[in-house]
Amino acid sequence: MNAFLALMKRDLASVARERTILIAILIQLFIASFSSALLLGLLSLYDPDAVSVSARVNLRVGIVGALSDALVPFLRERGVQVVRYDNLDDAVGGYQQNQVDAVVMTPNASNDIVTLDLYVPRAEARASLIQLVLQEPLRRYENVLRAERGIVTRYADLKGAPPTTFEFLYSVILPVLLFFPAFVAGNLVADSLSEEFELNTIETLLAAPISWSTVVGAKILAAVLLALAQCALWLALLRLNGTALENLPLLWVMGGVLAGMYGVAAAFIAVWFKNREQAQFVYALALMGALGASYLFGVSPLTMIARLAIGDAYTGAGNVLVYVVFLGVMVLALGVMLTRRAVK
Amino acid sequence: MIQIRTIAWREISRLRQRFSGGVSPVAVLILLAVLGALAFALRDVSALGSGLYRVGVRGDAAEIRDSRFETMRVDAATGAQLLATRALDVVVDGGAVIARDDAKSQYAVGALKRYLEKQQVVELAATQEITRAFPLRVQIHSIDAALDTPPQEPFIPSLQAPPTPFADVIVAFLYIMPLSFISIFFTSSFMDEKIKRRLTLLLSAPVTPFQIIMGKMLPYIAFATTATAGLALVTRAPIWLALAIFVPTSLFIFAIYLMVPLLYRTFQDTTFIAMFVTTMTAVYLVFPAMFTDLSELAYMSPLTLAVKMYRGEAFGWQEYLFPSLPMLLIFGITLYVSSRLLHEEFLMTYQPLTYKLADALYWIMDLRRPALSIFVMSFAAVPMVYLAQLILLAIATNLPLRFMLGAALVASAGVEELVKTMGIAVLISRREVQSLRSVTLLAFLSALGFLIGEKLLTFISLGIVSQTFLSAALFNTGFLFVPLAAHFCFTAVVCLLYTRARIPYVAALAGGIVLHTIYNVLIVRGSL
Repeated sequence: MNAFLALMKRDLASVARERTILIAILIQLFIASFSSALLLGLLSLYDPDAVSVSARVNLRVGIVGALSDALVPFLRERGVQVVRYDNLDDAVGGYQQNQVDAVVMTPNASNDIVTLDLYVPRAEARASLIQLVLQEPLRRYENVLRAERGIVTRYADLKGAPPTTFEFLYSVILPVLLFFPAFVAGNLVADSLSEEFELNTIETLLAAPISWSTVVGAKILAAVLLALAQCALWLALLRLNGTALENLPLLWVMGGVLAGMYGVAAAFIAVWFKNREQAQFVYALALMGALGASYLFGVSPLTMIARLAIGDAYTGAGNVLVYVVFLGVMVLALGVMLTRRAVK
Repeated sequence: MIQIRTIAWREISRLRQRFSGGVSPVAVLILLAVLGALAFALRDVSALGSGLYRVGVRGDAAEIRDSRFETMRVDAATGAQLLATRALDVVVDGGAVIARDDAKSQYAVGALKRYLEKQQVVELAATQEITRAFPLRVQIHSIDAALDTPPQEPFIPSLQAPPTPFADVIVAFLYIMPLSFISIFFTSSFMDEKIKRRLTLLLSAPVTPFQIIMGKMLPYIAFATTATAGLALVTRAPIWLALAIFVPTSLFIFAIYLMVPLLYRTFQDTTFIAMFVTTMTAVYLVFPAMFTDLSELAYMSPLTLAVKMYRGEAFGWQEYLFPSLPMLLIFGITLYVSSRLLHEEFLMTYQPLTYKLADALYWIMDLRRPALSIFVMSFAAVPMVYLAQLILLAIATNLPLRFMLGAALVASAGVEELVKTMGIAVLISRREVQSLRSVTLLAFLSALGFLIGEKLLTFISLGIVSQTFLSAALFNTGFLFVPLAAHFCFTAVVCLLYTRARIPYVAALAGGIVLHTIYNVLIVRGSL
């Protein structure tokens, strides 16, 4: 037991000395902030519902024609400033004097098909933004036209809140923050084991009265402890940031279990290949494969983590237990493999 | 050339040796499985928020088939009860939607709204006559040029998909994945030889460091190019265009990975630095490309060019050079730098990273001609500064507007001051220059070199980013004399604080950054 602790301490100390863990945390912070940047920047630009939420869009539209009465309220509700003009020339003049950003011309009479003419600036970026903002008012106007033609649309007046941020936070950011420490743990185990093999220090270690399982187990446990510390940090930061998280202890345990699974898998691979390049390569591939496969078979822990965090009524300790049992099986298998190797 | 070829062959046989003994079939099998699973996962990109909402349905409610919604049939009483106890987020009772007022339930309604809208369009298209179901057409015209452009096909609002380049960016990103794998092998090989001291052996042979680097890099560049061409072939993209876009990118990635083994020593370090570098490059490449067509700054990433390529849209020389030229320049500079660093003394000294970096700067410079070295260094660092500033700008855009401007200004001032003064600081700390006169002269030359480089790059990039007002602050254009004087002042202040007032370099640098930021703010105020 003492040997186990000493080995674990040695591994933790080497991680601390090389400041590896700092880089790892930096990467995670970077990924998280990048993801939220992507969310805020990109989704608010491409997501028609969110565009008006971001206050930066301040669009003025000039409108011409007799059929405009039905469209104007939808535009205003969307936060678009509407300026009426008598004819197209005046409206284009208004654009040139920088009074409006775009012009909508409606036909004078309603036919079977109503064709609107939309005049936008030539700059691609500006034009696509305008189209994006106008999309929702145009759809609502389309529903009005449908009603005039006797087609009833169900669920047309649903409101709700734009869900993208919510979905992104719980189904991307949170799982990533719990998965990444696990990924790092696996990397640490793979690296430190294959380093022992390549520098032949493993022979020295095994010459001491320590078993294979002690060496490997100590390395895995050190990595898991680091992962648990990181998960605690991320969960605390998310809470500080005002994100509501239910089932906190279970989430934390889940982070540790994932780290254990990754660590054991990495140990398998490293002991098998004994060579860093191969071990890292196979580890990375196996990891992607496992993620894809778990997604494929619908047992993805991603959904479970998200459900735990939002306080889903049907998800709880039982679901986490399944993963704990699975981890136990993996540890047993690794133990068997290591004892066999020692016998050889 | 013969030496380079010899080293390249040696590298290939080394790689074959490392990967002999059973791994190749395993790796290939796993790779296939991974790609299959990935393709399947990517098929349904809207899996965002999978299983997040619980919906109760009753009566003739619309059918809900979406991975985000977990549905169950309820009767009126249990539906209301489950909704109240938060076991359900929303109940769809025939044509009505019942929800609570809290956030979770409202998000569910919002998600449901989008899904049902989409379903409705599908249903209408299937059951109704097309003119009745879709009575609205929108015809887009250009407001600037009234008649000379041919009008586009009119669109139907409810059938118009948002112009997300998600799918295209993912395809473009497929090119980057093999590139990072290949460059990780390149780093590993270098690292391995460094640790086992075989590099020392190579260095004592009659070959130059440049030949060693080129020789070791060549096979990997060949793999990368083959992978790019292969991907282009599979995805039916024009191969030459794909190569033109991605060869600079792969050289850039190799350049960065070349620096890793030079500066680090243990396996763990290499793995994590490599991970860090991968993240950074992925962010730098993917992030701007997501804004294709929305912002001209999107062109800072070559993936934007790839997105354009897959859409069959044209781009000009300027758009091509905007991301590619800085990457090629960085590759060239890195090659030069690392061939100066590839020698026994630098490789085998173990010191903290900051010392190691200072050491690197020391070795890069030609100590017999410090003035020229400083000038060239500041000049050559401009592409890197430029890339760093673009990354900072991309990150800053998601801050609120007030902070965004401030943060971008401070950060860009920081990068510039660091680059201009670090060489001089190293010379001072190693006692290579002492006198007030020579420090001032070096500060002037550094400012001059930086300014010339900056103006040259501005000349290339101005056509692209001129519409972004921030670029006015970052690549300020004005009378040449004012920026030169300003650059010189800040550089000189930092150097003099460091050498005369004996203030630590970091603190002296902070002083320079404050001055530079004030100057930047004045410029922005003036130009707005």
